[in-house]
Amino acid sequence: MDKKKTVKFLSYRYQILAATLIILAAGLVLLPKYEKQEGIRSKQLLSHAISPERYISTDDISHKLISQDPSFILVDVRDEESYNNYSLPNAINIPLSKLLDEDSLTYLNQDQFDVVFYSNDTFHADQAWMLCDRLGFKNLHVLQGGLNTWYSTIINPSKPSEAMPESDFKLYATRKAASMYFGVAYPDQNLGAELPSAPSTPKKVITVEKKKKRKAEGGC
Amino acid sequence: MGPLIPGGYIPMEWDSIIAIFIGIAFGFVLEASGFSSSRKLAGVFYGYDFAVLKVFFTAAAVSVIGIYYMDYLGYLDISKLYVHPTYLWGAIIGGVIMGAGFVTGGFCPGTSLCAVAIGKLDAWVYVIGIMIGVFIFSELFNLFEPIYDGYNFGNITLIDSFGWNPYWVIFVFAIIAVVAFGIADMVRKRVKSVFY
Repeated sequence: MDKKKTVKFLSYRYQILAATLIILAAGLVLLPKYEKQEGIRSKQLLSHAISPERYISTDDISHKLISQDPSFILVDVRDEESYNNYSLPNAINIPLSKLLDEDSLTYLNQDQFDVVFYSNDTFHADQAWMLCDRLGFKNLHVLQGGLNTWYSTIINPSKPSEAMPESDFKLYATRKAASMYFGVAYPDQNLGAELPSAPSTPKKVITVEKKKKRKAEGGC
Repeated sequence: MGPLIPGGYIPMEWDSIIAIFIGIAFGFVLEASGFSSSRKLAGVFYGYDFAVLKVFFTAAAVSVIGIYYMDYLGYLDISKLYVHPTYLWGAIIGGVIMGAGFVTGGFCPGTSLCAVAIGKLDAWVYVIGIMIGVFIFSELFNLFEPIYDGYNFGNITLIDSFGWNPYWVIFVFAIIAVVAFGIADMVRKRVKSVFY
């Protein structure tokens, strides 16, 4: 009895398969459409945003600059005029408006270097960070406090008062030494006969290998 | 994710190796379905065997439905798939020549190699004919070059160029496929059956 049923059922197999095909195709038409989200998920973005690794302190950056650490790219997201006035050594200028240009993406969308964004404060740098992180780029950081903090900590560190702990004095000594490296001259510095000219900070050319983008090819 | 190679899940260097395995599988399936017989292939033109039409129509319908479901569910990015560039007149003229060769010879280039593999003599003749055609084409390439390189419309699709809704196109395509299967079956029943 069961066999007979199966045979009867299977005699309709072509009709069933054809119906399946049409039902599946109709399913595509009837499925509710949604806008696809590009880039990473919101939860992932949040976990990146609250990660302590996101910010990099000015002391760390000055240490890296002085030790000529080649593993990172400084990205100045201010406009070109401000960049020409003052910027960190070896920084490249990618104004926020040009952040998503193809030339800029060569620097940002890679996984060889750490990228450190900075602006005068952290506002524009954070925006750049957010945009790039959302696109799934890797190794992005923001300079803590931006150039303002850079100035108040490294270039012009405040002298600790006598009542402050020793670690503050050590930090001050380090920062002072760093500021000398970046071209600040102090009156108590033993300069010899003449003031040295501020060491020029050559703009190093950072070459980022372009990702191989070969188009897929097909054929019969 | 997906497609796997442009998405970077499989390094691009593997594609030739993967191609060999897919090619072997394709050849095996062609031979196993009897597509290395020129009589079966030619049957679609004489109306006694519509296996070719059914197989290729089914393959197209199933894969397009599958691809769009995978795109919908986020497993595949359709925009990253390779679209073959359209050389309009090259495709039209080449299609006519290929069709004429298909009707008269009973093979398409792929199935002819399949048939060579199982030792069919007519397939050998067919493949040698292809080689001669390739030779003539190469010798006269300068003459054909304007057609070969010209009329390039780039990597276009019907959906892009006419602004159609892909889902409706697929639905209509599926209906056309099923109707074509039905008509093919009707024709096959009326034509005197041929044993081969």
